[in-house]
Amino acid sequence: MITITDEDFDPGACIDAARDPRVGGIVTFTGIVRDDGITSIELETYREAALQELGVIRDEALSRYDIRSVDIIHRVGPLAIGDHIVVITVGAPHRRDAFDACEYIIDRIKETVPIWKKEHTAEGSRWVPGEHS
Amino acid sequence: MKITVRAFARFREVVGEIQALDLPEGSGIPALLGALASRNDESRDLLFDEQGMIREHIIFMVNRKRVGRSALQTIILAEGDEVAIYPPVAGG
Repeated sequence: MITITDEDFDPGACIDAARDPRVGGIVTFTGIVRDDGITSIELETYREAALQELGVIRDEALSRYDIRSVDIIHRVGPLAIGDHIVVITVGAPHRRDAFDACEYIIDRIKETVPIWKKEHTAEGSRWVPGEHS
Repeated sequence: MKITVRAFARFREVVGEIQALDLPEGSGIPALLGALASRNDESRDLLFDEQGMIREHIIFMVNRKRVGRSALQTIILAEGDEVAIYPPVAGG
């Protein structure tokens, strides 16, 4: 399942949903809002293109690694310190491919999925610079 | 022909979230950016450098497909196309 949502989500529920008789290991990555001297952040997306791109990344991971499932939930809208930003859940027969696929997916999300963060601080606001063009 | 322009993040703040532009048949990305840039200096500075070249960090999509730098000058837009402009992404 690929989801972009304004609502919070439960990473524990994502792990339970990935249980399957063929799956011997479930790896998750949960991104949360870090306190870098900010008061809050705001996430913006080009939703249709982001959903499409997340689907491409999921399909790439499923073809590159020996894994059974990929689920991605990405939050948008206003977030506070400690809020969930993203959860990636990978189910696989064995741990190695689950770890590798999960890392691949978060790296690719940071490269290509049209989502942006604006940080708000006591001094003002700024867009977090992207690393890839 | 009618072209929809969607802008995100810093680009949304300067040129607006969604625009319906009426461009001459056969127009490409440079003509579209020229129309946006003609509105005010802030838009021009965001889209073009001092030499009048399209700024390198801008990412373009036409109908949700990425347009690479090499195709920027040659792609021809068509009635109803949706062009998105945005800065490097920072999700995750």
